[in-house]
Amino acid sequence: MAPALSLSHVSAHYGATRILDDLSLRVDGGELVSLLGASGCGKTTTLRVIAGFLPATTGTITLGGTDLTRLPAHRRNIGIVFQNYALFPHLTVRDNVAFGLKQRGMAAATRAREAAEILKIVGLADFSDRFPAALSGGQRQRVALARALVVRPPLLMFDEPLSNLDAKLRIDMRVEIRQLQQSNGTTAVFVTHDQEEAFSISDRVAIMDSGRIHQFDTPETLYQRPADSFVARFVGFVNLVSLQVSQRNGAIVTTQGPGGYRLLLDQDRLGPIPDRFMLAARPDGLRISDADIDEGIPATVGIRTYLGRTYHYQVETASGPLTATGSLSDPLGAGRHVRLIPDLDQCCILPDKEST
Amino acid sequence: MIRRLSPPLIGFAVLVYIFLMGPLIIVIGASLSDTTFLTFPPQGLSLRWFDRIFEMAAFRRTMVTSFQVAMLATCFALLVGIPAAYALNRYRIQLPGWLSTLFVLPVLVPEIVLGFSLLRSVQVGAGLPVFSALLIGHTLLVLPYCVRVISASLSSFDFSIEEAAISLGAPPWQAFFVVVLPNIRSGVIAAFILAFITSINDVSVALFLTGPGISTLPIQILAHVEQFFDPVVASVSVLLMVLTVAVMAIVERTLGLTFLTR
Amino acid sequence: MIRWVTGWILSAPATTLVLVFLLLPVGATVLATLTTAEGFFASYGEFLQSGFRRTVLWRTLEIALLTTGFSLIVGFFTAYVVSRASPRWRSILIIAAVFPLLTGVVVRSFAFLILLGRNGIVNRFMVWLGVDGAPYSMLFTEGAVIVAMVYLFVPLMILTLVGVLENIPDDVIEAAASLGATPAQVFRQVIFPLAVPGLIVGAVLVFTGSFTAYATPQLVGGERVMVMGTFLHQQAMVAFDWDSAATIAAIMVAVTLAVVLVMTRMARRLNPLAS
Repeated sequence: MAPALSLSHVSAHYGATRILDDLSLRVDGGELVSLLGASGCGKTTTLRVIAGFLPATTGTITLGGTDLTRLPAHRRNIGIVFQNYALFPHLTVRDNVAFGLKQRGMAAATRAREAAEILKIVGLADFSDRFPAALSGGQRQRVALARALVVRPPLLMFDEPLSNLDAKLRIDMRVEIRQLQQSNGTTAVFVTHDQEEAFSISDRVAIMDSGRIHQFDTPETLYQRPADSFVARFVGFVNLVSLQVSQRNGAIVTTQGPGGYRLLLDQDRLGPIPDRFMLAARPDGLRISDADIDEGIPATVGIRTYLGRTYHYQVETASGPLTATGSLSDPLGAGRHVRLIPDLDQCCILPDKEST
Repeated sequence: MIRRLSPPLIGFAVLVYIFLMGPLIIVIGASLSDTTFLTFPPQGLSLRWFDRIFEMAAFRRTMVTSFQVAMLATCFALLVGIPAAYALNRYRIQLPGWLSTLFVLPVLVPEIVLGFSLLRSVQVGAGLPVFSALLIGHTLLVLPYCVRVISASLSSFDFSIEEAAISLGAPPWQAFFVVVLPNIRSGVIAAFILAFITSINDVSVALFLTGPGISTLPIQILAHVEQFFDPVVASVSVLLMVLTVAVMAIVERTLGLTFLTR
Repeated sequence: MIRWVTGWILSAPATTLVLVFLLLPVGATVLATLTTAEGFFASYGEFLQSGFRRTVLWRTLEIALLTTGFSLIVGFFTAYVVSRASPRWRSILIIAAVFPLLTGVVVRSFAFLILLGRNGIVNRFMVWLGVDGAPYSMLFTEGAVIVAMVYLFVPLMILTLVGVLENIPDDVIEAAASLGATPAQVFRQVIFPLAVPGLIVGAVLVFTGSFTAYATPQLVGGERVMVMGTFLHQQAMVAFDWDSAATIAAIMVAVTLAVVLVMTRMARRLNPLAS
């Protein structure tokens, strides 16, 4: 069983600037966890602290019971795939891959055999004598992967490894990475800013911002039940509407928005609803209706965008600008007064801004 | 051949280049003269003034000294300059900004002032031997070139390559020698060459730091020109130009000459 | 913590070298001039009171300024041609500028002895043309020193400016032309302003270089055209008046530093790319 990685109360600084703020994270043995966030959120810093390139100012890092915190980087035995591959330009593909084996004092003949074997696995057996400059982006990526894997590290880390590849190759490579990681049963940390990439490859994803983890959960939970407004926006809940409960009737809750409009919500579908809360909805979670009804959010139609299967509308409401969806059969012009009906399967409940 | 340039502009540039190359061609011509005085065009072709260089003990001796000083000063400057350039690039955030200014300071201080000050403080004040003082002066003279050229090649070096080596188990010092140094090799060669040629050509520093029996080639040339007006200096000049051509060929091979316009 | 120390340790040898053998000796030279037996700053008063010394200082400033001016003009237009030449010609022209630069100062100054001497090629040409009064004595005049120094510094100016001019993208020039600017206007309103930072760097290099030059004025100017550099050498090594030599050295340091500081500040102000 691969060892678990655990960070507890880790902080890190660049000069006087704090980059990581009391961060705790546990990656179970054999699990692939992604650190997801925009640039500057601290995800790469977390990776560098685990690798030992940046010292943790507080906190401890352990891997399978070994305390890594004070161990120099070259003795941590972590395989890393770097963003720009970081291949040694002056060494051949074979020597690149054998580098780590040489550091471990392996005999030349064994080194050559191990390197050849891993190069075969990543499909580069015919390229061992080439220099990195003579390889394509995808091939370099595979060499970097082989170089990190060949030393059989208990922990693998990936720093935006796919960001320099084109879209199609990126999808192929992430499947390949996932297969190799699962067949070796290695514990892995994957850093990316690409939500689709993180969700498709990971067992669990940590969404980061300003050096903190906002939510650490399975992709499914993150996608359907974001814990706060930051995560909600990040996974596509672009509409956030503050509401107040005015009446409870079993599972059905009557709520009121700014300007006094009424909205009926079902706790059986949305989960428990506090007295003050925010309703988060993706564009698909707000359907536009021009029927004369007194339910839903009153809105004025602004710009309409054609998206193939539906229209998206930018609308003005008492709760601010929102994005809603309308059917192709019934295009609405700018200035129309409409109602927005939430589709509860595409919505979730968040704690109100003031209470967080 | 030339895009969007008006003929007068091209003509001007041609004149400038004639101005630049002309005097050097004249020196080459003068070195071939058979006469005992300097003249151009040469009267009677001969290589005898090249033989004369090596017959004259003063030229022979100063050539050896110049070569020794240039070699040693360049090696010392690289020895302290490479770690400094590495630290400036690798630990940019941790080190104060004035540190990089410190290493270009020898460029800001007039060479002739450096020479005179070293004479006062080091040679006379501290009583260091002439050769040592000369060596120190030239090491300082060439240090900025070493730091700057190696910094330039380190600034395009991706330090994650070094981190990759460390993550694979190489201790930092080993990672430097196995991964960093091979990748800045051309920068080191260029620094070596620029430093060497700067030291070989120096007048202003050596002017004060020569003594009985110890002088450099440029100082010897100056002394000779002030007494004699024979073609031997032209021949020495041609030898120095040959050295320059050789150096340029090496720079071109390793880096491409456009390196020098950056 | 560990990283912080490593950086200092690695830069320590070079730092020590510069501090001990550059800052300390040069600082000692400058300090020695501030307080002499005659009192604070007395050596400077003495320096400026002497008519001969004043002449040397003004002459050196004049030569350095003229050298800088001519080098700027010659270097800028040549560098412009080099930067817009085809790649093949550009590398040939750069090599032709690097070669003199790497050839020593002594060799290049010596070339002017042959060129400008009474029997030199210039005089012979003028005699052949039948110019009135030829041959002239051109050596050991201020004019000869300036010409030789322009010759010395033009390659440096060309190389400094080619780097800057090459970085002006073609489409900026094309954009200006598409907006109706004539070639002359493009040159004046687009290329020149963008080249100003490079011109300032070049000017600083040439001015400080020519203000403190020794070999060229010594060979081409001799004792007749004494400048700060040759005067410093003469005071230190012939007259053995080290106080006077130190004063000259201190003035050189002061002028150099002042020029560098003022010009870099100006470069920052005039840089069109800075906010």
